[in-house]
Amino acid sequence: MTQLTLALALARRELRGSLKDFRVFLACLALGVAAIAGVGSVSDAMHTGISRDARQLLGGDLSIRMTHRTMPSEARAMLDAAGRVSEAVTMRAMARPSLGDRRTLVELKAVDGTYPLVGSVSLDPAMPLADALAERDGTHGTIIDPSLARRLGVSIGDKLRIGEHDFEIRAEIVKEPDRTIRFATFGPRVMITAGGLAETGLVTEGSLVNYHYRIAFPPGTDAGAWSQKFDEAFPTGGWRIRGIDNAAPGFDRFIGRVTQFLTLVGLTALLVGGVGIANAVRGFLDRRTGTIATLKCLGAPGDLIFAVYLAQVMILASVGVLIGAAIGAVAPPLTAYLLAGLFPVNLPLGLYWKPILIAALFGYVTTLAFAVWPLGRAREVRAAQLFRALIVPPDGLPRPGYIALTAVAAAVLAVMAFIATDDAKLAGFFIAGALGVLLIFGGGTSLLMRLLRRLPSPRHPGLRLAIANLHRPGSATPSVILSLGLGLTVLVTVAQVQTNMAHQITQQIPKQAPSYFFIDIQPHQVEPFTKLVEAVAGVEKLERTPMVRGRIVRIAGKPVEQVKPDKDIAWAVNGDRGLTYSARMPDGAKVVAGEWWPEDYAGPPLISFDANVARGLGIGIGDTITLNVLGREITATIGNLRHIDWATLGMNFVFVFAPGTLEAAPHSVISAVYAEPGAAEEAVQRAVTDAFPNVSAIRVKDALDNANRILDAVSMAVRTTASVTLLAGIFVLAGAVATGQHRRIHDAVILKVLGAARWRVVFSYLAEYALLGMLTAVVAGLVGTVISRFIVTELMRSEFVISPNAIVLTAVISLICTIGLGLFGTWKALGLKAAPLLRNE
Amino acid sequence: MTTTTVKPSSFARGETQPIIDLRDVRLNLRSAAGEVNILRGINLAVAQGDMVSVVGPSGAGKSTLMMLVAGLETASSGQVTVAGRDLSVMGEDALAAFRRDHVGIVFQAFRLIPTMSAMENVAIPLELAGEEDAFDKARESLGLVGLAERVHHYPDQLSGGEQQRVAIARAFVGKPKLLLADEPTGNLDRATGEDIVELLFDLRARHGTTLVLITHDEGLAQRCDRMVRMADGRIVEETIAESSRKSA
Repeated sequence: MTQLTLALALARRELRGSLKDFRVFLACLALGVAAIAGVGSVSDAMHTGISRDARQLLGGDLSIRMTHRTMPSEARAMLDAAGRVSEAVTMRAMARPSLGDRRTLVELKAVDGTYPLVGSVSLDPAMPLADALAERDGTHGTIIDPSLARRLGVSIGDKLRIGEHDFEIRAEIVKEPDRTIRFATFGPRVMITAGGLAETGLVTEGSLVNYHYRIAFPPGTDAGAWSQKFDEAFPTGGWRIRGIDNAAPGFDRFIGRVTQFLTLVGLTALLVGGVGIANAVRGFLDRRTGTIATLKCLGAPGDLIFAVYLAQVMILASVGVLIGAAIGAVAPPLTAYLLAGLFPVNLPLGLYWKPILIAALFGYVTTLAFAVWPLGRAREVRAAQLFRALIVPPDGLPRPGYIALTAVAAAVLAVMAFIATDDAKLAGFFIAGALGVLLIFGGGTSLLMRLLRRLPSPRHPGLRLAIANLHRPGSATPSVILSLGLGLTVLVTVAQVQTNMAHQITQQIPKQAPSYFFIDIQPHQVEPFTKLVEAVAGVEKLERTPMVRGRIVRIAGKPVEQVKPDKDIAWAVNGDRGLTYSARMPDGAKVVAGEWWPEDYAGPPLISFDANVARGLGIGIGDTITLNVLGREITATIGNLRHIDWATLGMNFVFVFAPGTLEAAPHSVISAVYAEPGAAEEAVQRAVTDAFPNVSAIRVKDALDNANRILDAVSMAVRTTASVTLLAGIFVLAGAVATGQHRRIHDAVILKVLGAARWRVVFSYLAEYALLGMLTAVVAGLVGTVISRFIVTELMRSEFVISPNAIVLTAVISLICTIGLGLFGTWKALGLKAAPLLRNE
Repeated sequence: MTTTTVKPSSFARGETQPIIDLRDVRLNLRSAAGEVNILRGINLAVAQGDMVSVVGPSGAGKSTLMMLVAGLETASSGQVTVAGRDLSVMGEDALAAFRRDHVGIVFQAFRLIPTMSAMENVAIPLELAGEEDAFDKARESLGLVGLAERVHHYPDQLSGGEQQRVAIARAFVGKPKLLLADEPTGNLDRATGEDIVELLFDLRARHGTTLVLITHDEGLAQRCDRMVRMADGRIVEETIAESSRKSA
């Protein structure tokens, strides 16, 4: 029999009846693995769903988007020759019932007769799309999102005024196959025909209009090759082409970010669970000290002892991993059920092996990282103790080989965190944070315990016992404060950050933000617009600036596709950006590098650029940026860098051109209007949209409300997922309570023998658990507040407001956990009679 | 302190090759209270096949002596040679292999592994030695101690006497040259204890095993070839049984 077979055989026998010793171990491991496997499976299911429905989401095999202008006829001819083509126009517009006073911003989409190339539009009442949108007696039809009907109080058959045309509402939209996957929209969807759009008079030079061309190729066409050919034929086309491999880029990015975040939550739970794993293994091995000594006495070498118990731990880890993997595997159908209707794609059911295997690997490596240390120590059990009445587990460090193995497992875990998050910076922060928190919690706990040891001994025996239990050698205090404390820290941090963000959105930003943005003001409307707005009582300030959209095509001479920007500023190079020009430095602008140009500047194209975006792109003053504006490429040199405070919601632009470049380009004007809240705000919107049907009003308060709603939902989701970490902490606490039960029973019996009434024993336990809960809350509250303060002041660059509610909540949760679980776990000790226990002793 | 002339052992009489040879063995341990001298210069030689009992009050150093012989404790000074091997130069794993091959131990508290059946408990030393027919031999060994019908029982399903029988079967299954028994009847009632002693002596006789028996029971001690009395970390008296003297 080889050593390995023997180790496995002995492990199998030793495992009999051991499962109950490993309940906390299994729970901790299963929870962490389930979280990682579940997140990965749901993410994979979503990506699979998007891939499966990619053609429908994209609206064809290829989608080409242009801003401000339609496709030149030669390019369009190439499109038409390649396959079936559908053209759609999207823009923001104001909609109001023909009979009525309410009005709202909508997302308008004008389609042609071939729309949709893939899938179909479902309507209520059911009818062909062409019929719903057709012109009847000079009136075009429209279909609308049901939320618009509710908002404006309109129903089928009513007339809806958009621009200069009254549309007849023929149906509500049940499903729009290529509806962009977004969580925040400017308004409900209104769909009309291209002919109908022409009637509105909304499309003029410079208005913010997007043109989408979708192509369905004949079978066998290589879409990628065609796309390359198309780009080569029109190198300055200025369009953005997406294929089915990039059908929902924003949503893909969103899933990626959420997956990253939730994977880290899962990892945190696994790490907190690791404390439980280590405690469970240590407790199990302590109980097996006699057996280990016996085996050694019978001739088992130390390596065999290590192998026997490592095999047991890994077999049990397999059980935990299997439970976790099974829970993770059912996460996609569960998510599909719980979030039905929230996602535009159906989650395909099935097993997603890759995330499950990754989660399993995380489970095994975490087990190794936390179990090797106690296992290494267990081999040092002295067999000679079999001849003594007392067999005590060994203490001190394990042999260097086991310390090295623990370090290797921890390093593998770190590398896996890097791979799983696919973001070196984030994983680095996570690992540094985990180590930092371990050090802070470890140091803090040791300090607290030392402090407790030095406190004068209370006269009350129950209280004295309670305090002694907290700082005696081998007490559960460090592991409970670390594990439960870590979960609570996450909650405090999330709650404090959310409070601060909500404070910003609901209190701070509205104080300085404009009431409305008016977009698509034509240059010739600027003067009457200004006069009209300034005439409204309660208007405090009006700002306006010209705006045209453009796309970055080269950065410092390098094609934008080859530039790898920092993730936090990637938005600046993806898609179109608003561009403006100004001779004078905008009010409140802070130039942080270089000089603002002279008002009479007349040299080559020069831009003022956002300093933060420049940092993320690795460029600076003197570097060039090439933009495609309305099909023309403009290369401008960065003349100065500005620090932009986006939180003011004022009119800020990443790009501000010096005079002499953009003036000739067809453009519209955007205006920010600051008015007294209430009637004045309403009056401005009414006056402008009545006088200028082509001008759309974006109400900042609506956007803020929307942001607050999103923040609420995100916070709730974050808190719910962070609870996984708390749950892991509670498991560890339960484990610690269970491990200490024997000692507590012993204490209770001795106290009873010495004449203590039951209430005194209860008081002692209560005091111990309450103190433990308070200590945990204090450490978690402090660490959580420091972290959230750092996030708010350093990362969000905002003023920190402490949230007493978050701290009180932490203390309450902590006390409920420790007292509740503690008393539940030791209630048995109170009911036991002293005599049988004393006889056994 | 009582000082008695130590009578010469069978080895000293030059009768057989010693299986245990302890020469000026000392063991000092450090404790919070300072250094404690557990053994203070032990000289003892035990011939192959001898039965030696060790008696003395608690704290005399009896168990420590046995631990040294089993290679479970290392002497601070002196020489410990067992079965021809100098234990003081052997590493932990070599000592474990040495015990596996040469020493059987019976404890007062049985020390069976609670998660394993009687047969599995008995088979362990053979499995550790890599023997293929470990379970056949374990079954046979259990048969010899009268537990053929209880091979699949777990320790907590057996009485104290039965558990000690399993422990004896485990100690003899590898046919060790040396059997160390530490108060084997200490946890048993008198009648059961007597049965166990008979069994132990019977098996020892069958296998010709050397026996070192620690006991508080003077009557039992006197049934051995030699009785070694210890006090305060020293051997203070060695008595050779009448029967042994006659045969010598």
